[in-house]
Amino acid sequence: MTSLVRTAAAPQVADDDKVRRRLTLAALYLSLTIIVLLYSLPGLGVIISSFKTTEEISRGGLWSVPTHINFDNYGEAWNNGNVRTYVVNSFLVTIPATFGSILIGLLSGYVFSKLPFRGSEWLFVFVVAGMFFPPQIVLIPLFRLFNSIGLYDTLWPMIIVHTAFGLPICTLLMRNFFSAIPTALRDAAVIDGANEGQVLLRVFLPLSLPAVAVLATLQFTWIWNDFLWPLIFTQSDNMRTVMVGLVTLKGQYSVAWGVQGAMAIIASIPTLLIFVFFQRYFIQGMTLGAVKG
Amino acid sequence: MVRSRWFWRITFLSIPLLLYLVIVVGPLLYSFFFSLTDWNGFSYDFNFVGLDNFAKIFEDPLFGGAIKNTVIWMVAALTIPTLGGLALALALQTQLRGARLFKSLFYLPICLSLVVVGQIWIWIYQPRWGLLNLTLDSVGLMDVSRAWLASPETALASVIVAWGWQQTGLAMVIFLAGLTSVPTELLEAAQIDGANYRQSLVRVVIPLLQPATVVVIALAVINSLKSFDIVYIMTGGGPFHSSDTLAMMMYNESFKKYFMGYGSAISVVLFLIALVLIAFYFRQVRSLENLYD
Repeated sequence: MTSLVRTAAAPQVADDDKVRRRLTLAALYLSLTIIVLLYSLPGLGVIISSFKTTEEISRGGLWSVPTHINFDNYGEAWNNGNVRTYVVNSFLVTIPATFGSILIGLLSGYVFSKLPFRGSEWLFVFVVAGMFFPPQIVLIPLFRLFNSIGLYDTLWPMIIVHTAFGLPICTLLMRNFFSAIPTALRDAAVIDGANEGQVLLRVFLPLSLPAVAVLATLQFTWIWNDFLWPLIFTQSDNMRTVMVGLVTLKGQYSVAWGVQGAMAIIASIPTLLIFVFFQRYFIQGMTLGAVKG
Repeated sequence: MVRSRWFWRITFLSIPLLLYLVIVVGPLLYSFFFSLTDWNGFSYDFNFVGLDNFAKIFEDPLFGGAIKNTVIWMVAALTIPTLGGLALALALQTQLRGARLFKSLFYLPICLSLVVVGQIWIWIYQPRWGLLNLTLDSVGLMDVSRAWLASPETALASVIVAWGWQQTGLAMVIFLAGLTSVPTELLEAAQIDGANYRQSLVRVVIPLLQPATVVVIALAVINSLKSFDIVYIMTGGGPFHSSDTLAMMMYNESFKKYFMGYGSAISVVLFLIALVLIAFYFRQVRSLENLYD
């Protein structure tokens, strides 16, 4: 990446130009630092408060620096049996739905890229268009559907819906990734006697692991963070996922701000870990799948 | 050979497409159907009421308010996070030491759930302890400080700011990706021709960022239509419906008041608005493949 600033100021410059460049740089750093501090402030408040006791908060407010770090709030949050149920439920929804959506994306992406047919371009656009629409459009029919087949208030609706709603983005990414792989590779494998299933599994899947990693981080984050579907499709406490649970428990801890903060952080740990360890894939995915939001 | 290709096309596409049809497309069409009924969400039966729900929509002052708020949301989304994201991307694409750390800090909110983002900002706006009022009070602006989320004049703006906090990082990610595709030679050529930083920015960089800009704008508009989670958590659409968006209103009518027929009609309107915007978007980006490279 070439810097605009560096390009703008040529290397062989007079001394006062050098000084001016330094000053520009210093000003840039200073303003960036201020902005980043302001930008982080909201999050910092929650982190700080989660380490303070309720008395400390009521004495010094949410934003005072804690006198000492204590983990009581985390202990209390984690010992609330519901919180553990919510976290387990979130994993039970997120992991299968992440796998499921990537799997069907692999299948359809392969067809659209390597086995196109008359009209497949239109079918592709039809599938991809799905990621642009607000989910409210299907809320009521799906609510009725899952009610009538007895899956209401189980984890199944979320698994099924997230898998299906993941199809557009997974298809888009996989098709684009496969299109960059030469078709000759498929043809060679077919001449060697492999069928399409074997070609996908043995040749294309191993090559597309970077794309799968991008999708995995993306889908995991979206599904984990989802709030709407579990809000609609579940009602009992032992079927709630963590984001809905967070809102449910807010009433219970309405004055225990520290516990609220600790719960919000516990709920965010899985996606934060993904962000820290797979940031490259995460950002790549965000760029590619931005439109889904 | 041809037959075997069709065998694999059908095998690969059947599960993805079946799921997509049952969970996404079918319910979408069903929403049109329900919008012509008075279904209440509980009973199995319902009556056909023709276009009554749509007639009611246009007399409902709540709907007018929700439309207005959604438009305000869109306009705000198009300006603040877009310009903020662009400015940050331009500042951070330089080979600044520490740029990676700065970037990470701005990215970070993207991996948080809107539930958590809402929670974080509720603490900022908290009337007694919130950082906003504390700051205002300490600089002598007591008259300005208020219960931000409980005042009809400020509730919507407060929620949009919280949302924009996350959205800015997202816009930055996309602009940064767009900036990497600006050829260095062009910038050097501009510099040789005597262009200063501002000129090369306005004449070279911004025009070349057009694809990224289209994505950011589409994202802002589409996400505005989807604005639900954070409204639900921060205000629930209140006080007095002052922060109702279309998506929020659709939820309240359907799942709070159980006017499922009326709720379906609102979702149909939401769909039609989305359809117009998406058609416009697809016309802007001539083909999907060129979009992200």
